[in-house]
Amino acid sequence: MAQAKEDVLLAKMMKVAAVALLAGACSQGADNADAPAVTGEVNLYSARHYDSDLPLYERFTSETGIRVNRIEGNADELIARMRAEGERSPADLFVTADAGALWRAQTADLLQPITSEALEAAVPEALREPEGRWFGFSRRARIVAYDSTKVTPDEVDTYEKIASPRFRGKLCVRSSDSVYNLSLVGALIEAWGEEKAEEWARGVVANMARAPEGGDRDQIRAVNAGVCEIALTNSYYYIRMANGENEADRKVTEKVKLAFPSLEGQGAHVNISGGGVARNAPNRENAIRLLEFLASAESQQHISRHNNEFPASPDVEAPAPVDAFADFEAHPMPAYRFAGRQPEAQQLMSRVGWR
Amino acid sequence: MIASPVAEPALRRRSLSWLKGLGIAAAVVAAAPLLGVLAAALSGPGAEMAGRDIARYAATSAWLALLVGLVTAATGTLAAWLTVMYRFPGRRFFTWALVLPLAVPAFALAYAYADLFDVAGALRTGLRTNYGFDLPFEMRTIGGAAFVLSCAFYPYVYLAMRTAFISQSASALEAARMLGCSPGKVFFRVAFPLARPALAAGVALAVMETLAAYGAVPFLALQTLTTGVVRAWSVFGSTAGAARLALPLLAAAAVLLWIERRGRSGRSHDGRGSAWRPLAAPRLTGARAALAVAFCLFLLTAGLLLPAGWLLWGSLDITPEWPRLLRAARHSLTLAVAGALLTVALATFLALGTRGERSLAGRFASLGYATPGAVMAVGLLAPASILWQLFGGTGNFAIGIGLLLYAYAARLMAAAVEPIEAGLTRVTPTMVWASRSLGAGEMRTAFKVQLPVARGALLTGGLIVFIDILKELPATLILRPFNFDTLAVIANNYALDERLPQAGWPSLLIVAMALPGVLWLSREIAASRPGA
Repeated sequence: MAQAKEDVLLAKMMKVAAVALLAGACSQGADNADAPAVTGEVNLYSARHYDSDLPLYERFTSETGIRVNRIEGNADELIARMRAEGERSPADLFVTADAGALWRAQTADLLQPITSEALEAAVPEALREPEGRWFGFSRRARIVAYDSTKVTPDEVDTYEKIASPRFRGKLCVRSSDSVYNLSLVGALIEAWGEEKAEEWARGVVANMARAPEGGDRDQIRAVNAGVCEIALTNSYYYIRMANGENEADRKVTEKVKLAFPSLEGQGAHVNISGGGVARNAPNRENAIRLLEFLASAESQQHISRHNNEFPASPDVEAPAPVDAFADFEAHPMPAYRFAGRQPEAQQLMSRVGWR
Repeated sequence: MIASPVAEPALRRRSLSWLKGLGIAAAVVAAAPLLGVLAAALSGPGAEMAGRDIARYAATSAWLALLVGLVTAATGTLAAWLTVMYRFPGRRFFTWALVLPLAVPAFALAYAYADLFDVAGALRTGLRTNYGFDLPFEMRTIGGAAFVLSCAFYPYVYLAMRTAFISQSASALEAARMLGCSPGKVFFRVAFPLARPALAAGVALAVMETLAAYGAVPFLALQTLTTGVVRAWSVFGSTAGAARLALPLLAAAAVLLWIERRGRSGRSHDGRGSAWRPLAAPRLTGARAALAVAFCLFLLTAGLLLPAGWLLWGSLDITPEWPRLLRAARHSLTLAVAGALLTVALATFLALGTRGERSLAGRFASLGYATPGAVMAVGLLAPASILWQLFGGTGNFAIGIGLLLYAYAARLMAAAVEPIEAGLTRVTPTMVWASRSLGAGEMRTAFKVQLPVARGALLTGGLIVFIDILKELPATLILRPFNFDTLAVIANNYALDERLPQAGWPSLLIVAMALPGVLWLSREIAASRPGA
């Protein structure tokens, strides 16, 4: 009796194992079948996990014959992984969507300086690390979405005004876990000094219509729903909503408009997507080629068109639908100047109760 | 009570050997990442985070765990009691259907509920504009999060309690009835106390899943210890700080496990010698039957139908990239099956080899389950680092997959060990002694007596691990090899990018893949009868 049961159990387990092995073999085959004829490879650790980046990598492979192997993940997990892999890390290129993460990879000594005329030509000086450890290839502005029926554009044309008593209980904003908020506050500390930045953050907390929740899109929708009158958001979320497949979202952007507040009269805060060559890159030359490819005018336009970020270079024309918003003044503060201020920013926000 | 305090140690001393060796090996495997966490905690300067914040995170974690524990204990127990002890319309269906929410990842529930009940969502906007009224609750609060996670995790309690109620001796319950207990009294004075170990095991699983939840909790705007860990790790770049934040959590988990074991020890309540026979289940009629049906239907709707339906509704506008999703689906399935087999095998060795011991190793091995996903990732990097440095980084596909399977075993060991140990308590020492005195060795006894009796428990353990791996995120995110995405990874990426409709498809595929497994195994379990 017990024997029979045991046999049944074992038989089942064997079957399951066989299926698993088969499935494994299939998936292996599928992966290999995807590989085009290649002459080399480059290992990409990317915290940008946008579908629209995949065709870029495919084009790179077809143009150069270099296969792109990807691991996508949270920037800091990728950094931890590169540290754990040590000298034998296969990482060639590290790519992420926030200057702060690039700075952390740099301070962990995971990136190497490179010189490349193509990169220096394609990327403005303010958007790269002075010694060539990382280069930005697209920009996103952290700006304001406002309810056009209640707010006029001149009421939100500076960052100070967002924190002013005009908007007590009328502001929606994400938590201080958002790297984009951290980078913004880092930039404010850089521009104003800590005291004024803290005063500003205090004003933001006083203005919150609700405890921080959700992502940037949720803030924009909340403005439309009347929860608040203004919201801090990244530019591309709004542009994506205004031009996306979702009809309700498109409708939201008829009432909710975008304003570009100015910092010290010099323009809006911009953050970057960028990448750097890994310290122990086994395919160093290929990594540089891929980074040059990502920073090329064509790629900047591709990223702008499909992910609605702004091109990094002022010489690259923004494609539709981004072009309608591209005519704004960006603050010239170099990205490496605010990138390292995230820990300060976090402490400051914690002090004033910005959750 | 059977356990003889004199005879057992004598037997145990003679049986030091293979089983024990394998058990200890399994424990070491499971515990290595935790040692990694300890090592990381000592490794360098911590993060300069405000104590006030850390206290707030800890309080939120504690409240959330408490609320989920209470809600899952109440709902899971009631559901199990109703479906085992009474007959009502649809009882047969609910018996297995109530397990189905196990197929839905907690993060998918979070996406669905946060979206459905968002202030600016279609539902609330419609209610406000058309009826001038708003719902009195929010999902992105501690209450909302407790609701969402309870929907996800109540089946753990339901499964454990169902097995316990089915195994209970009918004669004990009938005796209670004959002695004048009302059905309610039978429950509170006999059945429930007898099932207490199972309740502790089920709730322990639910609470551990809550503490370890990755993705769902931040999505619901709760800042728990995991938030602190992530902040220490990312903003302050301090893995040491992250690991230190995890230490109190590990200690709490250890204390919980210890209390649970202590309560259980020396109280094996199995009806000795009483042959199992089906209980005469009274039929519920009228309002009582309607209430029972409504309750079961509510659990099923809240845990599966409503969230999956809402995700599907939102995703219908999107045409997903099927080849990529299907490839990820194959990856998920392969990992889940292989990981479940490995974990159950290790958990069985652990349960058999350290059985009856207050072995530190055994307890330590279960802690991985309660460790926040982000912390476990820190810990897993320690053994991973050694392998990577030895075998040349992550370029090696086999090493990558091996590491992942290892990570799953380490993270999910408790999910398999809990039911297997509970199942093994049904093997009385006399059964083992009989086998041994008839000349069977230790291994033979394990395979011929103990494991067949605990067969249902092995399946339960395998099921839970299989489902958990399909839904697993943190280890997969950080350890997977190149060009290797699972469905959970894709769903998470879309959600981080605030593309919820796109996140719906991979989430639903996980549900679709987990459902047959849940169905098959839950029917096995429903059909299994001790002694039958």
